[in-house]
Amino acid sequence: MEVRMKNINQSRRAFLRTASSLSVAGSAAPFALNLATIGAAAAQTAGDYRALVCLFMYGANDHNNTVIAYDTANFNAYTSARAGLTRTLADLLPLTPSTPLTGSNAGRQFALPKELAPLKTVWDSGKLAIMANVGPLIVPTTKAQYTNLSVPLPPKLFSHNDQQSLWQASAPEGARVGWGGRIGDLMISQNANSIFTCNSISGSAVFLAGQASVSYQLGTSGSTAISGITGSLFGSSSASGTLTTLVTSGGNNVFTQDLAETTQRSIDANAKLSAALVTAPDFPLPAELATSSVGAQLRVVARMIAARNQLGAKRQVFFVSLGGFDTHDDQLTTQPALHTQVGNALSYFYNTTVAMGISDQVTAFTGSDFGRTLTSNGDGSDHGWGSHHFVVGGAVKGQRYYGTFPIMGLNNNDEVGSGRLLPTTSVEQFAATLAKWFGVSSTDMSLVLPNIGNFATPDVGFMA
Amino acid sequence: MSDIDAVSASGYEAWIDSQFVKPQSFHLPPVTAYLNTLPAASQRGQTAFQWSIWKNFATGEDALRQRVAFALSEIFVVSLNSSIAFSYPRGPAQYLDQLGTHAFGNYRNLIDAVTYSPMMGLYLSHLRNQKENPATGAVPDENYGREVMQLFTIGLYELNQDGTQKLDIRGKLIETYGNSDVSSMGRIFTGLSWAGPDTANNRFSGGGNPVDPDKEIKPMQAYNQYHSISQKQFLGVTIPATTVADANGDIRIALDRLFNHPNVGPFIGKQLIQRLVSSNPSPDYVSRVAGVFNNNGSGVRGDMKAVIKAILLDPEARAAPVGTGTRGKVREPAVRLVHWMRSFNARSTDGRFLYGTSSDPATQLGQSPMYAPSVFNFFRPGYIPPNSRVGAAGLLAPEMQITNETSMAGYLNYMRGVVNAGIGTRGTNNALDIQADYSAELALANNPDLLVDRVNLLLVGGNLSSATRTLIRNGIASVNIGTANPNADLRNRVNLAIFMTMATPEYLFQQ
Repeated sequence: MEVRMKNINQSRRAFLRTASSLSVAGSAAPFALNLATIGAAAAQTAGDYRALVCLFMYGANDHNNTVIAYDTANFNAYTSARAGLTRTLADLLPLTPSTPLTGSNAGRQFALPKELAPLKTVWDSGKLAIMANVGPLIVPTTKAQYTNLSVPLPPKLFSHNDQQSLWQASAPEGARVGWGGRIGDLMISQNANSIFTCNSISGSAVFLAGQASVSYQLGTSGSTAISGITGSLFGSSSASGTLTTLVTSGGNNVFTQDLAETTQRSIDANAKLSAALVTAPDFPLPAELATSSVGAQLRVVARMIAARNQLGAKRQVFFVSLGGFDTHDDQLTTQPALHTQVGNALSYFYNTTVAMGISDQVTAFTGSDFGRTLTSNGDGSDHGWGSHHFVVGGAVKGQRYYGTFPIMGLNNNDEVGSGRLLPTTSVEQFAATLAKWFGVSSTDMSLVLPNIGNFATPDVGFMA
Repeated sequence: MSDIDAVSASGYEAWIDSQFVKPQSFHLPPVTAYLNTLPAASQRGQTAFQWSIWKNFATGEDALRQRVAFALSEIFVVSLNSSIAFSYPRGPAQYLDQLGTHAFGNYRNLIDAVTYSPMMGLYLSHLRNQKENPATGAVPDENYGREVMQLFTIGLYELNQDGTQKLDIRGKLIETYGNSDVSSMGRIFTGLSWAGPDTANNRFSGGGNPVDPDKEIKPMQAYNQYHSISQKQFLGVTIPATTVADANGDIRIALDRLFNHPNVGPFIGKQLIQRLVSSNPSPDYVSRVAGVFNNNGSGVRGDMKAVIKAILLDPEARAAPVGTGTRGKVREPAVRLVHWMRSFNARSTDGRFLYGTSSDPATQLGQSPMYAPSVFNFFRPGYIPPNSRVGAAGLLAPEMQITNETSMAGYLNYMRGVVNAGIGTRGTNNALDIQADYSAELALANNPDLLVDRVNLLLVGGNLSSATRTLIRNGIASVNIGTANPNADLRNRVNLAIFMTMATPEYLFQQ
């Protein structure tokens, strides 16, 4: 999605002026320090509040080059399995877990690529967890069961649009209810303004579609006012009122009714949100995110969280995204640039929640279409299944790995061809762990995640 | 207006026939002309193609061809929202020209042109795709091999001719292909790369001496040394392992197999109906169109002219709209802007339609032709808006995937400006480059009833509900024609008439 950067740049300039006036030697003070200043100035009490933030990496992030095998034996297996597609040791930042890996993963080490350095900082502070080999599953599935088709498998494996939908909604494209939206349904009564329960700053996403809650879609500048419905319109003082009636009158056709209701929601939400944001603190993006779409999206999330009391919000689900991960080509150029954005954006967002004194109540996590093949096609990788993901927040039991890392290599029971990982943790378990923290009861969990009953351990354990 | 008159005078079919023979308005020549005015180092980007898109969409006499080409660009997606945009200033224009050419040709040739286009080769990465390498474990890129099936020809599930999904004896959907078919298709689409005077390895890789200066507008060529010689098995066809690689031969077999699959008629036919007429065609309508795809009456499969005629002349397309009826579609934002340009004879002061992209949903249209976010287009043909009346009624609304609280506000704000001041780059006279000609509307502006009726006819085919018409009529009349500046008052009335009409849900949902 194309993002207009004008307003952000104006704000950034204003921020830099402020920052340099605060600094001693003329250079900008450390970013986190400024955030702390802003947060202190806001002086909000946290209160009863929780937010879940999904950062979806559209196109399928290659997990093999995201959480990278680092111990010698597995690094060698990695380099021999994907010719022309490997990172060098010099580019890797090894991670030290707070508790060593055990069981089949004992002795293994992993690293982040240097572009994700900001996430290593969060890891070291104990607030980043890594979920190994998670992907859509209907039931726990072994390689033999996969091969013999003796258990139900997720439909349309390896297809982008369908697996995006499976990640977000436990069903292929055409799903009308996602697990973020179903969580919203269960929590909507706690919010004074239901419209701000499920919020997308990235257009339509089935993740946020509920049965009661409607996904509110706003832009990177916040909500947008309709200029023609106030004041004078083309020389008429009454026409703006007429326009309001016209754009909100749906007639007797379901299409026109839906269009009119969307416009009515736009008007109502803008009235509330624009008023709330006027008095809420802002969190300007650091220089490295100045042109980042996902950075701008997370800034809006941060602003809405800052305005939560004015908005009467107690439980909110947010969706942001970054595209371009379908690296069939030029992966070693494309993916690092995207990772730079992801690392900086998640770090910025986590730091803002710390500055607001609310980090324990906000959890961000990544999702993606699927993992990618371990094999290389020369300069890219193909569609896979399981992948590794990040969970970031004050309530995360971080600096730890969860789940089971697969055997590194080809032709083994952890992969289904070309190094496509057979997931060992289902997306629904990953989601249930987040949903439980968010307040969804175990009895309601199957309303949110229809297959969760098929898994013995619905809570993977990464949330405090 | 002249087109409305022409259709009224000659009838629908005669108008379509006349459109079929209009010379094609091409994008590549103006793009090339513009690039030639620049120093070589500056011959980058899509500026002139963006201009040309608006110009041809808004003024081409081949309106139907341009409209179908746009529809095809939303099925065979190559997006400039990618690295292609900067480095290949002519390729995308040539790609859209190809879609326009084959829009009135045969589907088999269309899918051939799409497959061999270097822009598609870059976008879905089968350009430079190499055969498997057992020594390194590298395998072919499966991207195009998968999407040519899923998106461009047969789709995921076996279909009846009426577009409904077939079921097996246990009542389950039948998948059209499995992962082994995809692997074989990956091997088939190996060995293609840039055009040039030879097929040397370095040319395959992007070099070559001399590099063909026109490689971005020429079909890719086969480099058989990079084409897989392994067995390929897909959709019931087996190409045995061989010692003589033949990329073009294998691709011909694969595309023939796909072209002749019974899914193509309903799969592509329904999507073209959705793009041109209605989001929810009846199964009978789909079946009639698919039947014409299968056989145009003269034994020819894939005759696009016959398919387009079948779509536009179908009784279901031609039936009078009913307010409560669900036949129709939400107008795409980009189509709304072109509709305004065509309805009011918008012209470019410069002559080239100096306007760029319109992608920002908060301040523009949330859609710019050729700038889809991914190969899955701006919206999906099966999209059902969640928690909606449309969804509750069991209906599809693809365009609603880009319709939301922000885009609605953005559109209204944007059109308020466009209707009043035009659009495009600000010229030396400080006016925007693209200006509507409202002379006919201004001539009626003294009479709110005549003005609203004209705008109603031009924009909504005369189908505004009486309540909406009255609201707009009274809105127009609320501007007094004073003595101080009567021309400005008349213009305000015209602005109100057009803007208010284009703001109504009755306009946004095209019946």
